[in-house]
Order: sequence, then C-alpha cells, then structure tokens
Amino acid sequence: MMNISLVDILTIAMIATSLAVFGLRNLKWSVYAYITETLLLVGVFLLLSQKYNVEQLSEWALIAFITKVVIVPYILIKLIKRLNVRSEETPLYGFFISPIIALGFSLALAMIISPVLKEFSLLKETIPLIASVTIFSLGIFGLILRKNVIKQILAYCLFENGIHLTLALSTYNSPEIVDIGILTDAIFAVIIMSILAERFYKYFGALDVSKANHLKG
Amino acid sequence: MDMQTLLFFTLCLPFATAAILWFTPKNLGLLNTFHVLGSLITSLVALSAVSHVIGGESFYLFNKLFFLDPIGGVFLTLIAVIGFLINLYSVKYMQWELESGHITINEVKLFYVLSHIFVFTMIFSIISNNIALMWAGIEATTLSSLFMVALYKNKRATESGWKYIIICSVGLAFALYATVLMYGAGFNVIKDGHDAMLWSSLMENAKLLNPDALKLVFIFALIGFGTKAGLAPMHTWLPDVHSEGPSPASAFLSAVLLKCALAAIIRYYSIVTHSTLGSSFVETLMVIVALLSIFIAALFILKQRDIKRMFAYHSVEHVGIIAFGFGIGGPLGVFAGLFHTMAHSLSKALAFCVSGNIIKIYGTRDMGKMGGLIRVNPLNAVLFGTAVASLIGIPLLAVFVSEFLMIKSGLSADKYIQIALFIIGLAIIFIAVLMHFNEVVFGKVRGEVKTEKIEANANIPLIVFAVLIVALGIYVCPQWFELLQNATKIILA
Repeated sequence: MMNISLVDILTIAMIATSLAVFGLRNLKWSVYAYITETLLLVGVFLLLSQKYNVEQLSEWALIAFITKVVIVPYILIKLIKRLNVRSEETPLYGFFISPIIALGFSLALAMIISPVLKEFSLLKETIPLIASVTIFSLGIFGLILRKNVIKQILAYCLFENGIHLTLALSTYNSPEIVDIGILTDAIFAVIIMSILAERFYKYFGALDVSKANHLKG
Repeated sequence: MDMQTLLFFTLCLPFATAAILWFTPKNLGLLNTFHVLGSLITSLVALSAVSHVIGGESFYLFNKLFFLDPIGGVFLTLIAVIGFLINLYSVKYMQWELESGHITINEVKLFYVLSHIFVFTMIFSIISNNIALMWAGIEATTLSSLFMVALYKNKRATESGWKYIIICSVGLAFALYATVLMYGAGFNVIKDGHDAMLWSSLMENAKLLNPDALKLVFIFALIGFGTKAGLAPMHTWLPDVHSEGPSPASAFLSAVLLKCALAAIIRYYSIVTHSTLGSSFVETLMVIVALLSIFIAALFILKQRDIKRMFAYHSVEHVGIIAFGFGIGGPLGVFAGLFHTMAHSLSKALAFCVSGNIIKIYGTRDMGKMGGLIRVNPLNAVLFGTAVASLIGIPLLAVFVSEFLMIKSGLSADKYIQIALFIIGLAIIFIAVLMHFNEVVFGKVRGEVKTEKIEANANIPLIVFAVLIVALGIYVCPQWFELLQNATKIILA
C-alpha cells in the first residue's frame, strides 16, 4: 500500500514549514518559511487541479501566488525592515516547549475534526485535510502563545493558509467571487495589522503584546 | 425605480460617498456636507428598498448573490435609521475633537470615509444571499471599523485595535469553517456549486440537509459570529473596543455592527429550525449563551467606573437578551428578539452619543468624578435618563416591550427556570445601572465641570433618538410590525 501521492508529501511539508514559521526566532526567516509554505500551497492547488481535472483550482493557485507569495511577504519584510527588529521575545513556555505544545494540540484537533470535514469535502483527501486543520490550529496557537506582534501577524497568515487549503478541498466549485472576497479580506487584514504594528512599536517601544495591558475590567 | 436598481444603489451609495469624501479637499465644511448628505441619501434609498419587502416579498440581485427579504429588511432599517443619526451626531463630535487638538483634519476625513465604507460592508453582509460573501462582509466590517476605533493615536487605542482585529479574526475563522461545512452539507443535496452557497436555496432544501452536520455548523457559526456579536464568553474584545474609540464609533459598533453579526447567526438559526433537527437544539444553545452573557455583563456593570465601559458591558447584556428571545423561540420569542434589535440599537446609540456629551461636560469618563448633571445640563440629564431607563427596561420605553414579550412567551412555553434566571439577571443590572445613574445625574459635582453648554446640533440627533425610543415603546407602527412578523415567519418553520 505504498501509494503516497505527491499531494500528501507537499501537504506534510506544509505542516513542517508551518512549524518553522511558528518556531523560528528570527522574524525574517519566519517570513521566508511562510513564503515556502505558501509556495507549497500553490503547488498543492496545481496538483489537485491536474489530478481531478478542475480548472478553477489552477486559477486559485495563480491568485494565491500573487497575493500570498508576493504581496503579503512584501508587506511583512518591509515592515520588519522599517522597524529594524530582528528576533522575537521569548514566547509563553519558551522557544522549545511552545512549538511542541502547539503541534501536539494541533495534530490532536486535526485528527478529531478532519473526519467530519472529509465527510462533506468535495475532494476526499485524508492527509491534506488533516494538514489543513493542523496548520489552522498552529496559527491559532501562534496567536495565543507568541507575544511578538509580527509573529502574530504571521500566525494569522498561517491559519488563513489552513483555511484556504480546506476551502480548496471542499468548496473549489463555488463562484469565484467567494475566493476573491475571502482573499481580499486577508490582504487588507495584513495591511491593517502592519499599520497597527508600526503604531504599536511607536507607543510601546517594543513589539511585545504583553506590554499592552492598560485595558482591564 | 425597480427593486433591483434600488438594491444596487443601496449597496453602492455608501461606497460612492466614501470615494467622494476621499477626493474632497481637507475642508471641514465641505467634508461635513458630503458626509451628512451621502448618509442621508443612502438611508433614504435603503428605507425605500425596505418598504418593498414589508409585505414578505424577496428580491434578488446579480444571479441571486444578493437579496433583500424581510429579515434583511429589519437589519437594513437599523443601518439606515441609526446610521444616519449617528453620522449626523459625529459632525459635531468631530468638531470638538478637532478643536481640542485630539485629532487633525486628516483624521476627521479618515473617520468619515471609513464610516461610509463601514456602512457599505454592513449592508453587504446583510443583503448577501451567498453565505461565504456574508462571511466576507462581516470580516470586512472589522477591517473597515478598525481605524474608526483606533482613531486616536495613543497607547490605549492601539491596544484596543490590536485586540479587536486579533480576537475577531480568530472568532470569524470558526465561522468560515461553519460556512465550509454548510456548503459541503448543502452540496450533497443541491449538487450545484452556485446554489449550494445560497441561503435561499439552503432554506428550500433544509429538510434534506444532514442534521448532524447542521449541529456542528451551528456550533461553529455561534462561536464565530457570536464573537463578533459580543456574546459571552467570546465578548472579551468588546468592552475595550467600544470604550476606546470616539463616541460615534462606539455607537456605530454597539448599535449596528453587533446586530449584523447577529443577523448572520439568525440566518443559520433559521436553516436549522427548518431542517429535520428542529428548533430545540438551537434554542438550548441560544439560551445558554444568552444567560451567560447577561450574568457576565451584570457582574462587570456592577463594578464599572468608566461610563463608556459600562455601556459596552450593556451591549453584551442586550445581545444576550436578543439571543434569549431566539432561545425561547416560538413566533412570540423570535418576534421579541427581532424587536429588541431595534429597541436596543436606538437606546444604545443614544447612550453612547449622550455619554460623548457628558464626557465633554466633565472632561472625564470616570463616573466617580461626575455628578449633578441635572443642574449642570438638564437636557442631557434627561437624554441620559431616557437611554438608561430604556436600557434597563422601564415600561413605556422600547426595551420594555421586547423583554415583556420574551417573558410572556417563555411562560406560555413552560420555560420557568430560564425565565427566572433571565429576570434575576435583569434585576441585578437594573439595580447596578440605577446606582451609576444616581452617581452621574444627582448629588454634587465631584470632579469639575469643563463646560456647561452643549451646542444644539449635538443634541438634535439625540432628541430624535429619545423620541423614537418612546414612540417604539407606546406606538404600534403597523409597517414595522408587519415587517417583523414577516421576518418571523421566514425564520420559523
């Protein structure tokens, strides 16, 4: 039963690169890992489009390439350069433990949810579905465990990629405006978060969100 | 004008206004004129579109991607009426902020542009028939309102903005999963990529949808859109965001935005009640989050010092009350829930706008430093009193009507425990708010009075709000009731 397909391999590589986005201390390297992850996502779209002969997915691949491999990383790299920060603050539970916690819980969650998703998914691909939920929840854990603003933006991008993969597997035949609408939101979100990140740095003198604790009660 | 054109203009006008404002030179008079005029025209067109659906009809646009039905009509009315009055108030408020040097003309312009884009995104989400576009619209409301909230350039505003975008994006991600699952379940039955995403065709085929999938869909939708609607325990962003923005932004968010997220929940609620799953599952969930919201809000209102934070927690409470109406269910419960959307929106818009005036008078948000408002500025004391009295459910005012209907409907359905808890929650808030009310309105001034006079044009929109609150409490407007009844019919099987 050695029929591991290329799609499976790419999606597993996506989990690995997502973990790198999550875990790398150097912010620039995190963005590069994110670019790699998104390139893999584009690859998965193309492969799926060939395998199942669906025209729409190759369009999705093109749109994803423009928005997520070019525009979003460009915004982030520029932001990192402008703020001139190199690496992130120590996250909750430290650099070593926090990725392990995140990955463990994410995989567990994926195992629980992906069978349900598979039931209703158009393309019944087990490993890509597991990967999509894992990447999604890695992103959510990134927002909870990492304290650096830029890292949180990257975590947002991660869970966005996870959702994007789920969408490709289960709603590829929906009207195109849906994909465009969702991606437009994602790009604007990244732009707005970068503007906020700059302000954050200006007022708090750091990118550590745990310093922002003025609002309570 | 035929209905399609009308709906098209309803969608496009706010966007066009934003574009015009963007290219307007930085002249306060010009900006104000275009801002108010654009808002007025948008509201009139939206209301005339709503007038076509009062009888229960639905109209479609762009291959059914958009539509207006009585449910959408209810929420579009909210956006039109309350949006316009808040925009009218914002003119004076922004002038004060400009004079006090808190903001510059650039930010006034930004605020105006964003407020129209914000209205555009809300209308977009309300009239989307496609559930994924509805989701995209709700997400876009976060993005467009973010810099209305974080308008001031300071630590607190930045912090609240960050919280807002992060918590709401995560919450809405769950709602997107609900959308995906809903589409999957729908596609199994409908077999058409375009139709399976349309709310109207999902409703038609609701009986055939897989009930187990619907359970999961509703839970995800409730978590997701519930975050945006401010239902506990996902409400944590709400007090920070509502209290840090300028008062018109707070009023917008609380009075209109929360209702748009609720509208999304109601769309899913009605699909489930039409399915073989029936209504008991969704009703139970709604009652749980509703009571949780009411009690959590009650605890925080008790110990609140900040006037805007108090009203923010009030929003959590009232969103809970609306959810409670849907949790009680039945024609009367759902009707009351829908009625409460308008009642709360009017009361809360008045509350936030009048607190803008009060903050101007005392120069602080701390209620411990206020006092004696009835002598300092009687008109604003009365307006504040109207807002508070309506919010806590004094008879003859709008909120009382819906709360009374909910209790009546719950008792006739033998839901005694839920009703008892509901009344206890409301009673705690009643006492807490009256305490704060006393603190602000009576007694002697504990801080200092910065200014006694509030200009007429800051008061006029508030007087209109107050009149509407009283009117809604004592007068049965036939069109409004017919619209609500038709919306209720669609929601319930």
